[in-house]
Amino acid sequence: MLSSSSSKPPTQQLLQSADLISQGAEAKVYKAYLRQVSTSCLGPDHGAVLEALEPVLLKYRFHKHYRHPSLDASLTRQRIAGEARALMRCMRSGVAVPGIRMVDVNEGVLGIEWIDGKSVRQLLPGGAELEDISELEEADEMDEIHENGAADPIADYGVSRDALMVMIGVEIAKMHLADIIHGDLTTSNMMLRKQTNDLVLIDFGLAYHSTLVEDKAVDLYVLERAFASTHPDSEPLFAGVLSAYEKRMRKHWLPIKKRLDDVRLRGRKRSMVG
Amino acid sequence: METYYYSQFNHAVVRVALFDDVTNAAAIRSRIVQAARNLGVDGNTEREAVNFAFIDARLISSPLHLQTAIYQALLSEAQGQLRTKTVHSEILWALNPTNNITEAIRRYGVSDESTTLIVVRVDVSDTPDLQRRMCDVIQGCMVPFQALVKMTDWSIIKKHYKLDSESALKEVQGNLDRERSIIDNIVVSSVAMKNVMA
Repeated sequence: MLSSSSSKPPTQQLLQSADLISQGAEAKVYKAYLRQVSTSCLGPDHGAVLEALEPVLLKYRFHKHYRHPSLDASLTRQRIAGEARALMRCMRSGVAVPGIRMVDVNEGVLGIEWIDGKSVRQLLPGGAELEDISELEEADEMDEIHENGAADPIADYGVSRDALMVMIGVEIAKMHLADIIHGDLTTSNMMLRKQTNDLVLIDFGLAYHSTLVEDKAVDLYVLERAFASTHPDSEPLFAGVLSAYEKRMRKHWLPIKKRLDDVRLRGRKRSMVG
Repeated sequence: METYYYSQFNHAVVRVALFDDVTNAAAIRSRIVQAARNLGVDGNTEREAVNFAFIDARLISSPLHLQTAIYQALLSEAQGQLRTKTVHSEILWALNPTNNITEAIRRYGVSDESTTLIVVRVDVSDTPDLQRRMCDVIQGCMVPFQALVKMTDWSIIKKHYKLDSESALKEVQGNLDRERSIIDNIVVSSVAMKNVMA
């Protein structure tokens, strides 16, 4: 009765009416609404108060035509499952991550909670580079403001840079204590929520489970390099992150610190075994 | 009564009502069971009379929880991958953390002791006379859907999702609002990702 044999699959229809926000090599990211308000349903007994529909973020892992179709389907399914399970583990362990709102494995779409706010990258100096389509649209409006003197975006959030670094250190520590490795820790993958000023870790597409000190140390090292390459003079900022991380990790910190020093010396993934 | 409209599911119209002070839960349940067994022509009329999803309101943590289960059920139906017989029973299946259909109906469906029920009707267009049809089956009082917030039994939900010793909750012990918001997030997310839970 409700099968869509006559038209496109429902999730494809959903994507069509959604706003494309950014496109990466692996996925396209959209802002969408899972349901609509029908004008025909509004009658005289419906008051002026309409339930505000919450948006969701859709991560669409589109078909990669360079892959064999069955491999593509299988890989996409595994990646979605991996990301969803990592998010679930984080939630249960108290790590601040977006909630899951919709999953369509057949079409390769993961729907997650829409986070209203800015990425940490955008809130720190050096990070205001235009990365995605919605920012490009904003830029025209922002140009005027910036001409009058640089408005520090973090000022809107009532959170100092130091306090932000502490929040970052704490969330990563909680994540590592739950033996979850993010796999792509950068300031673009952390957001500050507008109304609550809470930090949220996002994009768990490369996340995995590991108890190894090496993996946690590399996770931190990736963030350190990201800080250095994106934000000028960020050493004191990252030091603040590590200090909060150390405090939260307690006895677990020392082995990770040692490993981190090793990783820094050799660079990632370079084995000294000849 | 709430109305959810989905253009992507062939313009499906979903109506949701909340009933309090339900006195004939046992009768409703036996009526559903009988309708399922009745193979005659009058069986169809009976099945149509109870063609709703009856959900025990105590087990729903928020409107979003219900909306997420409805969405996943609609998606399964649209993709021809229903695990249960109808989209209505699929909503009950979606609400349950495990794959056991009987358990889903037993836990989340109407039970003899239910006193608050959520009634959901999925249709291709607006069903005429819906409120009367619901009230014909249920002896209770239809209340605004917002009243759901008072009906949630958080301890049963915590039990079903094994959240009693979860670290996320230990952190916010004492702050009831935060605790419930975390439970709701976990519950909603679990319903959404059930197909990939493995």
